[in-house]
Amino acid sequence: MQPVVQFENVTKAYGQAVAVDNLNLSIEPGKFVTLLGPSGCGKSTSLRMLGGFETPNFGRILLAGKDVTNLPPNKRNVNIVFQDYALFPHMDVARNIAFGLELQGKSSEAIHRRVTELLALVRLEAFAGRLPSELSGGQRQRVALMRALAPDPQVLLLDEPLSALDAKLRLQMQIELKSIQETTGKTFLFVTHDQEEALTMSDVIVVMNNGKIEQMGDPHTLYSKPESVFVANFIGEANLLKATVIGKDGDKTALRWNGFEVQATAAAHAAKAGDTACIVVRPEAIQFSAKPAQGVNAMPGKIRHRVFKGNHTSMLVEVADGTRLNALVHLGDAEAVNGEDVWISWKPQNATVIRDEAVPA
Amino acid sequence: MRAYFNDIPRTLLTMAYWAFVLYLLVPLTLMMAMSFKDANFVAFPIGDWTLRWYAQVMQDRQFLEACLYSIVIAAAATFSATVIGVWIAMLITKASSRWSGVLFALACLPAVVPGMISAISLRVFISTIDLPTGTAAIVLGHTVHAVPFVVVMALTRLRSMPPNLVDAARDLGADSIIAFFRVTLPYLGPAIVGGMIFCVLLSVDDFVRTFFLGGYRPTLPMLIFAKVQGGMSPEINAMATLVLIVTAAVGLYAEYMTRRSRSR
Repeated sequence: MQPVVQFENVTKAYGQAVAVDNLNLSIEPGKFVTLLGPSGCGKSTSLRMLGGFETPNFGRILLAGKDVTNLPPNKRNVNIVFQDYALFPHMDVARNIAFGLELQGKSSEAIHRRVTELLALVRLEAFAGRLPSELSGGQRQRVALMRALAPDPQVLLLDEPLSALDAKLRLQMQIELKSIQETTGKTFLFVTHDQEEALTMSDVIVVMNNGKIEQMGDPHTLYSKPESVFVANFIGEANLLKATVIGKDGDKTALRWNGFEVQATAAAHAAKAGDTACIVVRPEAIQFSAKPAQGVNAMPGKIRHRVFKGNHTSMLVEVADGTRLNALVHLGDAEAVNGEDVWISWKPQNATVIRDEAVPA
Repeated sequence: MRAYFNDIPRTLLTMAYWAFVLYLLVPLTLMMAMSFKDANFVAFPIGDWTLRWYAQVMQDRQFLEACLYSIVIAAAATFSATVIGVWIAMLITKASSRWSGVLFALACLPAVVPGMISAISLRVFISTIDLPTGTAAIVLGHTVHAVPFVVVMALTRLRSMPPNLVDAARDLGADSIIAFFRVTLPYLGPAIVGGMIFCVLLSVDDFVRTFFLGGYRPTLPMLIFAKVQGGMSPEINAMATLVLIVTAAVGLYAEYMTRRSRSR
């Protein structure tokens, strides 16, 4: 399938600061794609380059196979939902949504039909005559979304559009955004620094750091098979264990950590015996038992801290050399009290071997 | 009441304020009162009251022509000052921070140059470029004088404008000209209206520049000046009262408009 968006070796620098570093990315049509990363990772710059508000120093940007690198924003068939919505304050809801359609030279009848259809999609029919200042945050958000969708863009760009909403509304809008994307079948390119938002809505997540892509994949793969310390830390919580590789057996890797021989799954990282590597163990992958668990990866520990969080309990377990591991126990599962000696273990398929890097503080 | 005696600075401030109001209002009230006096000379006591002077003013062709002339000049000066002022304000917001300071200072210069100096220099300038004194020269003078006020008002509004607004218009298919007319200009609307009213008031009120740049047709201030030289009469008071009421109404409306633009 022809990718709807392609970044080819795109680099953008502001003076000495490189915002986007030799980015190569292609996006399939009809997908909800999220650029995820901390502030300054280049995700917003990439979005603005695609929108036409920034010009790359090097490389090309293609939209449905057509080179748009040097086209101004008004000549590109993409629309942006801005972080602050940027609704025109002097125009009512209907005229805001009609703005792009009018510039396309549509007949007033066609415009009216399209505006009505879009307002119905977000149940705002009764608000057509209101000014943006007379709407709530969530309603403005929906109007901004419909205004950007109205001219039927090839890709809809969303620049952290949920960040101004309160937590509850944000959750609700995540579900609504995803359902609108599915209903319209449009390609959404969503930019956020919030991993939870990314996990909730995306078909594909592109994790960016320092202007480069760290890893790209569906939410499940990124969470369960991170390929770098950055991704493991950025998406969800992770215990990172520095270990030495002993050997490999199929997709299982045996490693020595902290005097124990442990097993984990090797994903992208091809480690040789003797190499140092990092093992990623998610808190919920750690299991508790009173006696050593059957099989592998069992070790004794002591509960050092315990926080009840409602539907789960968060534990801090100290093992032999003083390393503390985060563990998470769901309501109703075996639990331990503070200070208790326990045995912990994890299944090899629930731990991933990645490159050894400096673990960010 | 006790609080007033206890708080001496506050009492003094309050008294100073009312003294100022009195000083402001007494001359105006006297002027207005004299316009209703049924006699040919301006002095107390008033004696009989009349509306005769107003009837006379309203039929005075000289007065009506001067009014019309003032309005025509004000309209022309306001139009050009608004266009130039908004344009300079846009330029200042687009310029780098170092240049925007220089541009802003230059744009504000006409507001702080003394009227007399400005009038003389303009007079020298128009004779240098062979522009005769008269309407065009007056409009030129008034425009230069009014531009800073438009710039300041437009700039204040522009600085409060979300930067993404124009981006959003561009993104939805507007080129920069359409984006300016359909988004920036409506956003500036209240500030422009306020600025225009200010221009009109400045122009109608101006005497010095008009005096140096004008031809034989008198504007309203020049007519009143000429009449005063011929001796005070209640007719002049009636004219002045009419001017006062109209300008006060327009001025208050302008203040209301700018307040609304700030609060929106």
